[in-house]
Amino acid sequence: MSLQEREPTRDELLAMAYVDGELSDEARRDFEARLPDEPFLNREVSELKKLATLARRVAPPEPMDHEWKRLEGELLYGGGSRLGLFLIAIGVLGGSAFLFLELFRSSLGTGPKVLVGILLSGVCLLFLTTLRGRLKTLPYDPYTEVKR
Amino acid sequence: MTLMEVPGRKISENLGLVYGSCVRARHLGKDITALFKNVVGGEVREYTKLLAESREQAIDRMIDEATGRGADAIVGLRFSASEIASGAAEILVYGTAVRLK
Repeated sequence: MSLQEREPTRDELLAMAYVDGELSDEARRDFEARLPDEPFLNREVSELKKLATLARRVAPPEPMDHEWKRLEGELLYGGGSRLGLFLIAIGVLGGSAFLFLELFRSSLGTGPKVLVGILLSGVCLLFLTTLRGRLKTLPYDPYTEVKR
Repeated sequence: MTLMEVPGRKISENLGLVYGSCVRARHLGKDITALFKNVVGGEVREYTKLLAESREQAIDRMIDEATGRGADAIVGLRFSASEIASGAAEILVYGTAVRLK
């Protein structure tokens, strides 16, 4: 007879509370002391643990995940985030180019201009090299698919 | 496993410490988004994912090392995290590689 068809016994209720971690320290110790001598209790605990594991595996994902997925598909949120990043990137690149030009139009002597130019070129070269490395290795990076 | 022994099995040989570490960063765009999350609150999913990526890669590296030594299991598994750079996550995972009877 299954539990759905009758009231659970006191031992079955105890086993459920034990597996759910709801027993007090003393009750848990008493219950554990009975386990070696009572195969029925042992089997009950083992089955309840399996059930708890199964329940966790089939549990639906967090509702927040659904909402985030929906939000990311929305034009206002998903499109807005991408557009925001794009505008920032354009601003940074445009601003850098403007500063570069202003540097060479400025009244600074040739020496400082060359030095600052070398510095900026080095920064740009380092960034582009790093970016190229990342883009080359990205297709072989399996960890980008990890969610949490 | 995080236990110091494998239930139902006996350890026949201790193959020593194995570890894997990983430092990962996300791109600046995600850092900017995370910065705004600091303002409005809630889970910073960009960094949750960053930590998860680092954790999985570090675990894989540790398993590779243990497999290379011919281990059957890794016991006493522990995680350690620290911050090397802002917006980057470093995870160190270590344990003892063992052979089982």
